[in-house]
Parts: sequence; C-alpha cells; structure tokens
Amino acid sequence: MLSRSADSLYWIGRYLERADHLTRLMRQQTESLVDSPVRDIYFGWHRIYGALGRTPHPGPLDLEEDDSYTLADSYTLADDLTFEDTTPDSIRNCFAEARENARQVRHRISAEMWTCLNRSYLQLQGVAIQHIWSSSPEQFYAGVEADIDTFRGVSSSTMYRDQGWHFIRLGSFLERAELVASLLSAQIAAVRLFDVPADAYWTSLLRLYHAFEAYQKGDGLAIDADRVLDLLVVNPQLPDSLSVSVLGLNREFSSIGAGPDRTAAAQARSQLDYMSDLLRSSWPRTTDRHGLLTEFRDACRRLHDLVGDTYFDYPVVTHPARTSAFNQ
Amino acid sequence: MKFDGYDLDPAIYDELFRSSGEPRPHGRDLYDTLLESSDDYVNAVGEWVTRSFTHEGITFTVYGDEEADERIIPIDCIPRVMAGSEWRSLAQGLEQRLAALNAFLRDVYGSARIVADGVIPPDMVFGCPHYRIEMRGFEAPRGIWAAICGTDLVRTTEGFRVLEDNLRVPSGVSYMIAIRKATKSAMRRLYRRSRVGDVENYGLVLSQTLRDMAPDGRDDPTMALLTPGVYNSAFYEHIFLARQIGAELVQGRDLVVEDSYVYMRTTTGLRRVDVIYRRVDDDFLDPLVFRPDSLLGAPGLLHAAQLGNVSLVNAPGTGVADDKSVYAFVPDMIRYYLGEEPLIPNVDTYLCRRPKDLEYTLDNLERLVVKRVGESGGYGMLVGPHSTAKERNRFAALLRADPAGFVSQPTLKLSRAPCLIDGRIEPRHVDLRPYILSGSETRIVPGAFCRIALREGSLVVNSSQGGGAKDFWVLEDE
Repeated sequence: MLSRSADSLYWIGRYLERADHLTRLMRQQTESLVDSPVRDIYFGWHRIYGALGRTPHPGPLDLEEDDSYTLADSYTLADDLTFEDTTPDSIRNCFAEARENARQVRHRISAEMWTCLNRSYLQLQGVAIQHIWSSSPEQFYAGVEADIDTFRGVSSSTMYRDQGWHFIRLGSFLERAELVASLLSAQIAAVRLFDVPADAYWTSLLRLYHAFEAYQKGDGLAIDADRVLDLLVVNPQLPDSLSVSVLGLNREFSSIGAGPDRTAAAQARSQLDYMSDLLRSSWPRTTDRHGLLTEFRDACRRLHDLVGDTYFDYPVVTHPARTSAFNQ
Repeated sequence: MKFDGYDLDPAIYDELFRSSGEPRPHGRDLYDTLLESSDDYVNAVGEWVTRSFTHEGITFTVYGDEEADERIIPIDCIPRVMAGSEWRSLAQGLEQRLAALNAFLRDVYGSARIVADGVIPPDMVFGCPHYRIEMRGFEAPRGIWAAICGTDLVRTTEGFRVLEDNLRVPSGVSYMIAIRKATKSAMRRLYRRSRVGDVENYGLVLSQTLRDMAPDGRDDPTMALLTPGVYNSAFYEHIFLARQIGAELVQGRDLVVEDSYVYMRTTTGLRRVDVIYRRVDDDFLDPLVFRPDSLLGAPGLLHAAQLGNVSLVNAPGTGVADDKSVYAFVPDMIRYYLGEEPLIPNVDTYLCRRPKDLEYTLDNLERLVVKRVGESGGYGMLVGPHSTAKERNRFAALLRADPAGFVSQPTLKLSRAPCLIDGRIEPRHVDLRPYILSGSETRIVPGAFCRIALREGSLVVNSSQGGGAKDFWVLEDE
C-alpha cells in the first residue's frame, strides 16, 4: 500500500479516537454542570487541560480564583475545546482532519465509511456553542459519540481487511493508549493539587472508560484510587485499558508486517516490548504511578515517530537525476 | 407527459424528432414512454436522478475570481438516444481522427515531414506553446502518443462536426458512468427493453489500454494514476478511475526516480511503477525539465519516460495536436498520413494570425464564436450572437493586439434534445464527448459525456458556465 495512503488511514484512526475521547470528557463535564459543586467542575476542567498539556485559550485556570468561578467560564472553555478553529485538537477540528484524510483515500475505504464520516462532519459544520448551550450540551456530545460509534461499526462491517484496515486500527490503539495515559497522569496530578480525596473524581473516571460496573463487580462499592488505576491500566478485559491497547498495537504490528526500514521496524518492536514491560512488570511495583504513566505516554509518542520511520517516511537514497535524454 | 409547445425549429437538428414532428425510429420507445407516463412520474424520475447524484457527492470545482466553489453538475433524466448504425460510423471517424493525430505527433517530434512538405506552417507547430522541444526524438510506446482522447462533437442539420480534440488530460468520463448509473435505475424498464450499449466497463477498457502501453518485458505492469491532489477540480474523477482500474492514486511526492526508474513509496518499500496515467499537465510533470517550481510531479520522471522505463499516458507534448490553431489542419493530416478523406469534418475555422481571416473575424464579430488559442473550459470565449457591443469591442481590441492568440468559427446551431425543465419537456442544445482509447487496438465504449446548455437558447455547454449533462444511449440494432 502507498505510504501516503497508509499515513492518511493511520491519521483517520488517530483523529477519530481523539475526537471520541474529548467528546466523552465533554459530555461528562457538561453533565456535571447541572448538579456538581463548583469545585468539582473546576477539577474537571483542570483534568482535561492537564491531559491535553496546555492552558485554555481564554486564559490559565487559576485555583486561587476558585471563588469567582462561574458557569460562564465553562461556556468559554467548552467552546475552546469543541468548536474553536485555532484549537488544533478541538472536536470539530478532529473531525475536519479525519474527513480530509478520508477524502484523500476515498478509494481505500468503503463508500459507507466515507458517507458516514462526511455526514457527521457536515453536521458539525453547522453548529456553534450557543446552539448547544441553550438546550442540552450533554445531548449534543452524546450525539457526536454516537456518530463516532456508528463510524466504527460501519468500518468494522464494511471495510476490507487489508493493510489499510490495520493502519486505521494502529492509529486508534496508539492514540487511545496515549490519551488514557495522559488523562490518568493528569488525574493524579490534579488530585494532588486539589488535595481532597473525593470519590467523585475517581468514579467519573470509571464512568468515562465504561469501567464503573466492572469495578463494582470486582472491587465492591468503596472507591480506592489505586484499585481504580489498576483496573484502567492493566485489566485485560476493559476495552479502554492500557494493557488492551498495547495488545492491540502488538496485533496490528504483526498484521502489517515489518516495513522497508528494518532498523526502524526493530526499534518500534522493542519500543512496544518496553511499553508492555512497563505495564506488566513495573506497574505493580512502582511507587511513582504518576511518573510511570508519564513515561508510558512519552513511549507512545516515540512509538508514533517510529511508525512514521518504519512505514511512511523511511529514507530513500536517490542518485541525482539527469535531465532530458535528448537535446543535451 | 405531453410535449406541448415543444419547439421544433427546422434550422436546428432535433435528436429525438424529425422536422415533421414524428419521433425518429430509434427514439420511438423513449417518446412513447414519456408520453404514456404521468407528469408526476416523470418529475419524480427527474428528482430521483438529481438526488441520487447529489448523494454520491460527485462534484467539480469552479474557479471564480477569488475562490473555488464545489458544485454538483445538474443532471437531466431524459437520455439522448442514437441508433447503433449511426454510432458505428461516428466511431470510425473518431478512430480515423485519432490515428492521424498520433501519426502527426510521431512526425512532428521526429523528422517533421508534414512541415517539410508544406502542409502545415512550421511556426504553427514549433511555435505552439504546447510543443515540447524536450520530447524531440522520443519514441512513444507502440507509437501511441495519445492513448486517451476525448473528442467534442456537435451536430448541425448538416451532420456531425468535430469541435475540439482533447489530447492532454480529457476529463468527464466519470460523469458518463455515474450519469448512466443514475439514469439506468430511474428508467429501468425502458433501459431493459432498449438494449443500450454498455459504458460501465470503461474502467476495464481503460485498464487494458494502459497495460498495452507498458514498457517491453513488463507483462504484469504496476499502474498508477498521478493526480495533482485534492484541490484539483477533477479529484473525484481521479479517485473514481483509480479504483476502477485498480491503480494506486499517487501524487508527485509519492514517486521516487532512482537510476531512471520510477518507484512509489509503499509500506513495504519502493515499488517500481510501469505505467503512469497522469492527470497532471505537462508543465508540472518534472521540475528538472519543465516548471522548476512544480511540486506536483517528480524530478527525473521525464528522463525515465524517455528511456522507456516508465510509460506516461498521454505522453508529454501531445498538446501540440489539440491546439486550437493546429486543429484547423487535422483534415489535412488525415489526408496526408492516411490518404483518406475525413469521415467527420471540422468546423470552419478562421486563423486570426492570417490577415485575411483577422479582417473577416473583425467584420463579423456578431456572427462568430471567437476562441482564445490557449484556453479551454469555455473561458476566454466570445459568442458573437449573444454578446454585447461592449464585449465585442473588448474582443476586437484583444484580437488586434494578439491576432495569433485567437481563432474564430461560425456560430453553429447545435442540435437539441428534449430535457425536463421546470416540469416541462423543452429542447436544449447539446454536445457530445466520446472517449477514444488507443493501445494495441483502438477501443471506444459506446457512449459519451453529453453536455447540455441549460439556459434557453444558450449554446454554452461547459459545466463551469451553467451547463448540465444527460445520459447518452447507443441503441443496439434489432
């Protein structure tokens, strides 16, 4: 498969995963606006921006100004993360990027996938923050989530299982691993900063990753931060857990096969082994879970670079081309 | 639906009716079907065709003064029909013409006998901006410079005329197929009865032609379609055709020229490319030879093609044969190279570079169509009878300033075909672009891209200028 096409497919996977993650966070956050204490809402914003690793466009979140916090700020922040053109990872921009990548490889995905993605993209184009804020923002986010779920279902049932499919999946798993690791480490940092052991902060995390029921089944009703983290990091049955993502990455790499650059391919393999080791061996023993999650996230970013080196941008040595064969 | 008030002008050929008002024999079934259907039904079919086309998202881009605009071409649901016997003689004429054009290309990039023999003036060939001096001495695979040609035909009461040959990167073939799909399912019963020539196998035929063009010894050639990218007005067509012919859709940056062989960058390493169906203009193919600022091609591509390591289809430099001035000499080429009389005549053409022709053109601006030599797509054109005095004055000044930049032709009364306009059947002017493919043999699918001038009385069919399109059925004889 053409490297550029593979690259585009990989980015479709990444951008939709990114859109999905942020949409889920936003749904939860806008739900919390209805009945949560101001401090919890504030915590939520802090966690989201912490995971994204940046400050909001409208200005930094300042804990000292806690008291003056108003719902109006949430409006601005939601706009920043959902519709703002200059926010590269805003939900709408993620859709636009995914769709643009899909447009380039329309012949490589099923017609149904294109139609589905194009429709969601077009719908999002016509919406602005004031439209969703006046009624029920959480319903809007739930709708976007459903669109992404539909796309996944349509992809799964219509796309030919060639390399292209595996590149989409590779992008999805890598993006998911990076996002979950970022959010978990942002969670630990935010909990430390706020210095209040609130169960709500941890249950929201469980709900975000569809893990609440699983937690209750295995660990009972009492919320324990370490057990929550164990579930989200190493549980082999939870779709969003880091372990499942790493397993997925391993599977997709095997399906795609070694790329033309053997050195980079070997490095990517060992990087992936290193990530597995972090979860399997280091996680149970570490005393610095925040540090380990950060290390895991950085490992994801290195793996991303290696994917590019292995399949997309591998070096090609060319001899200087000559000009015209005739009339020299 | 009745044909009430359907205008039959004896000076204009009607594709469905004889001047007596009787439907032509091959159109009888279509006529009866329309006549027997209720207005509601025909209108519903019209809407259905438009809607199914819209949903496919088949767009083209119109370039205005400031921004590009994605549009969907308006599709008319009533097919234009032609008898198989008529089509076959037309196809013969098209084959003849392309054979002569390829002979001309071989000649002018070789010993240029036609120029030496005084059939065509040297400056018209060698001074043509589309003549590529870099290609002199090049021998195209199988001697075929232009393997893919889209010829614009019009019909008057005197018969068919060739309006233009498109030998560089003719587009529109994806519409031909998409329109067929939509029309066929909207008019399923009529279609089934009518034994219509198949156009949906165009991809297969194109694929076979491209294979024929592969370098010697490459029996299972790897093919790629080279596109300028998503911002090109025909990007949809590039995607469509790449899928149809099973070729990779590549951009310049996907190609690597190594030791004069062309490779594409794939996830398993470099893969040699044997045939490139290029939809990028000559100027942008190779920055080492043509425009140095081009990022759309690949450095070294032309050299690889010259050595025969890769086949570029069509070959660079074919534009000299579809130049609007050189066009005037195509009938002479047919006589010169093939020793035959042209089966499909040209439209009379005045070359404004000739003082006499310029004078005639200036004197008759309100009756002529004036075309700029380097332009296509209906841009830079004056349609005399539909022009204002101000426009004519502007063109007169342009003509005097650069006579060689213009040709003029009489305004033709293009034939008309019935179209569904605002719930009524009315005649509109149409043209026809069949596609001729030339490889180890000449292949023409029985069909064409049929464009309509939707505005009443208008003669301009270009999609960028308010034109639409409809299906074109070649009916097999009983």
